[in-house]
Amino acid sequence: MLKDKFQQNIAGKHHPKEKLVKTHCSYCGMQCGMNLRVDTDSNTIIGVEPRYDWPVTRGKMCPKGVTAYQQTNHQDRLLKPLIRDDASKKGTKEGFREASWDEAYDLIARRFKELQAEYGKDTLSVFSGVSMTNEKCYLTGKFARVGLQTRYIDYNGRFCMASAAAGFLRSFGIDRGSTLPWTDIHQTDCLFIAGSNTAECHPTSMFRVWEVQNRGGYLIVVDPRETPIARRADVHLDLRPGTDLALANCMVNLLIQNGHADHEYIANYTSGFEETQEIVKVFTPEYTSEITGVAPEKLIRAAEIFGKAPNAIVMFARGIEQQVKGADNVSAYTNMCLVTGKIGRPKSGVATLTGQGNGQGGREHGQKSDLLPGYRKLTNPKHVQEVCEVWGITPEEMPLPGVSAFEMFELMEQKTIRGMYLLCSNPAVSAPHLNYVRSVLKDLDFMVCADFFLSESAEFADVVLPSVTWSEDEGTVTNLEGRIIKINKAQEPLGESKPDWLIHVELAERLGRGDYFRHLQTASQVADEFRLASKGGYADYYGATWDKIDRQDGVFWPCKDEADTGTPYMFEDHKYFHPDGRAKICALPYRPSAEEPCEEYPLRLTTGRVVYHYLSGNQTRRIPFLRDMCPEPYVEVHPETAQQYGIAHDEVVRLFTRRGECFYKVKVIEAIRKDTVFVPYHYGYEQSVNLLTIAALDPMSRMPEFKVCAAQITKVPAAAKEAAR
Amino acid sequence: MKKLLYIEMDNCIGCRSCLAACTQCGGHDERNRNYVYDVNPLVDRQTIPLMCLHCVNPACARSCPAQAIQITEEGAVLSALVEKCIGCQNCTIACPYGIPKFDEEQNLMYKCDLCYDRTKEGIPPMCASVCPTNTLQWITEEELAEKQERHRLGKWVSSHQPFEPLEGETNVKISLPGILQGVQKLF
Repeated sequence: MLKDKFQQNIAGKHHPKEKLVKTHCSYCGMQCGMNLRVDTDSNTIIGVEPRYDWPVTRGKMCPKGVTAYQQTNHQDRLLKPLIRDDASKKGTKEGFREASWDEAYDLIARRFKELQAEYGKDTLSVFSGVSMTNEKCYLTGKFARVGLQTRYIDYNGRFCMASAAAGFLRSFGIDRGSTLPWTDIHQTDCLFIAGSNTAECHPTSMFRVWEVQNRGGYLIVVDPRETPIARRADVHLDLRPGTDLALANCMVNLLIQNGHADHEYIANYTSGFEETQEIVKVFTPEYTSEITGVAPEKLIRAAEIFGKAPNAIVMFARGIEQQVKGADNVSAYTNMCLVTGKIGRPKSGVATLTGQGNGQGGREHGQKSDLLPGYRKLTNPKHVQEVCEVWGITPEEMPLPGVSAFEMFELMEQKTIRGMYLLCSNPAVSAPHLNYVRSVLKDLDFMVCADFFLSESAEFADVVLPSVTWSEDEGTVTNLEGRIIKINKAQEPLGESKPDWLIHVELAERLGRGDYFRHLQTASQVADEFRLASKGGYADYYGATWDKIDRQDGVFWPCKDEADTGTPYMFEDHKYFHPDGRAKICALPYRPSAEEPCEEYPLRLTTGRVVYHYLSGNQTRRIPFLRDMCPEPYVEVHPETAQQYGIAHDEVVRLFTRRGECFYKVKVIEAIRKDTVFVPYHYGYEQSVNLLTIAALDPMSRMPEFKVCAAQITKVPAAAKEAAR
Repeated sequence: MKKLLYIEMDNCIGCRSCLAACTQCGGHDERNRNYVYDVNPLVDRQTIPLMCLHCVNPACARSCPAQAIQITEEGAVLSALVEKCIGCQNCTIACPYGIPKFDEEQNLMYKCDLCYDRTKEGIPPMCASVCPTNTLQWITEEELAEKQERHRLGKWVSSHQPFEPLEGETNVKISLPGILQGVQKLF
């Protein structure tokens, strides 16, 4: 299925005394296909070989993918559980001693039971992540609600995909990250990409992006920086960070005015057009230019190209989503497709570039504070009943909805939450306003962290459990297309490390909840229960068996039963998932960022990734090649701004906001707005730019506004510079 | 079917995946042999890769007093033979592109061998296999001819009118920045 011009029939290089295990990368939502090279004498992973036949990426990998295998047998791997008896050492690497699994489990069970006896079930929390399989994500939700019986579970998708999810739910009534397969991208006539540094964050999309231009199609990029993809754009809309909503409204306004609205589509399949038309009217190119800083001619040209394009795809990522109006931005850019009818057919549609490996699947199956497997809602009694039947509990036993990731920290500060089980996430680097978050973590009564490296967050734990890397377990992941794919096991777990799902099963036993978990002894048994739990939900995975995934190069959800081959294209029948069957064109008034620049803090600080690192850097900063390529953060400054501040390339400066200060080397480059500075966020301790970011949350998605806050730079006297080093 | 390495400079995003992948070729002792340069880092993010161009009449081999640099029948210019290389580093000076690297410890030159370990079996070199942008492509002569036709290119593939910016003919073909000049827009 879905063959395209980039198809290659190459088996790959087979070395003697080696076997190739086909799987996917451990990192971003692209989930590039790869073969892990396994030495057949030692049964250990020793390298990587391109997987040329994988239809999405055709053997291509970014430098993170090429070196991903180096995680598995890395010298920093945690091989045994660690216990720290002296709580005063929290927040440091000190004081840990190796322990047996029995001792660690006993301690966790005792402390969790004590806390719950004294303060109630909800005093415990689970903070999870989505860089792990659907099976693990599913069982984490069940572990929190059935094993720990707490309402407080949320996950790092709140820092990643929550706004895309909220926006899509409002626009379409369903949240599948892409309405069409990635193999359509190069065949479209216009790509409109907003807030995505695609070349660095999803590099293996780029051969398809460039092909659009090679064919004579157009590339429009919306970004405050001239990123490697913006460099070659036909139109680069270089907006001020945090002003996307104005720009998207302007696009919709111009599309309507230019006669590019598809009124038949609007009448037949959508609602909300009239209100939206009224709202966007004020967003003339001139007025929008005042807000966004983008030249009116460029806005006009972009709308003209998008409107004229026979087919077009709107894509976006964290740049528009990590804002206090992220969900509004998502719906506003989605409006461009709904108003022009460029959706629900091949080569046209909407897609978000999912950040984490399983950012799509991991948000669908019950790790989110208000969701149950299959994208069911905790507030819907029918949904609760359906999941209770699979879990063997009564609806009365189902905990209530909890709160979002950052709000859990606030409840920790208030002592509503006193214990935390952290897995697959590193909030001591990735959460906003880190001075606050780190002090809250330090004050927890009891914290457990499961990870395969000792992350900055693990340094706050009382017990650290060694989990496995992606290559030592099997299961499914849902990539950024909504395609369910299979991760295969290439090596036995290193040392005494265990997969997270097994840790949940064993820990539930110690907590007296074994009856609900004991039957799950293999990843495949977890998969079977998970598919059943998703059956009948919006995100229905019931028909996506491992066998089918293997046979047809992945399965796009929904996939309801054995005969169903899945759903590569969404909305082909133009039926949307709202009760009236229509998509919602959303009328969204503009509002500014939570913290606009002022005299004291005149610059806009924005944050993002570099191609060499992934998320908090806990994995990639340990890989020699990646570390060498980008060993430390820096602050990107336009030369005119640098001149104004009297600072030079490579000079260390103090960058500060109302929440904290950092010392960074200056990288002078013309490829950024003069009123904006940029810092990559992958670094720990005093290098974390999240010491500076703001914890203002989107009211719908509860996503913090990582992408814009007000900042200031000062020169650093030579003596202080030495001290900072 | 004979294939060749073709470099489309303007596609490069500077991810350096080609450097990471170079270490994964069987004959490469986990050391990379190619380069990626920032063209004008204070101005924009344009980068370009540079690997051995596998000259038809390579200066490195010509300059070698020990005849340590072999050329395969496919035209791949190999690393110095361990048993012949005398460590004089003539090749590193002779190469107009600065390609050969020198291992001080082993007193030995090493360079891109076009992943001969792979390409002799018809498998693309590692750099072109992983390149996320198709900056590095492993293409047939027919595909090269199409590109030359489309971009009205000379013997040396470039986006400008035929001219010969380099003295010698190379087996690896390069398209200089500006590849989109002359592309007919769809609308």
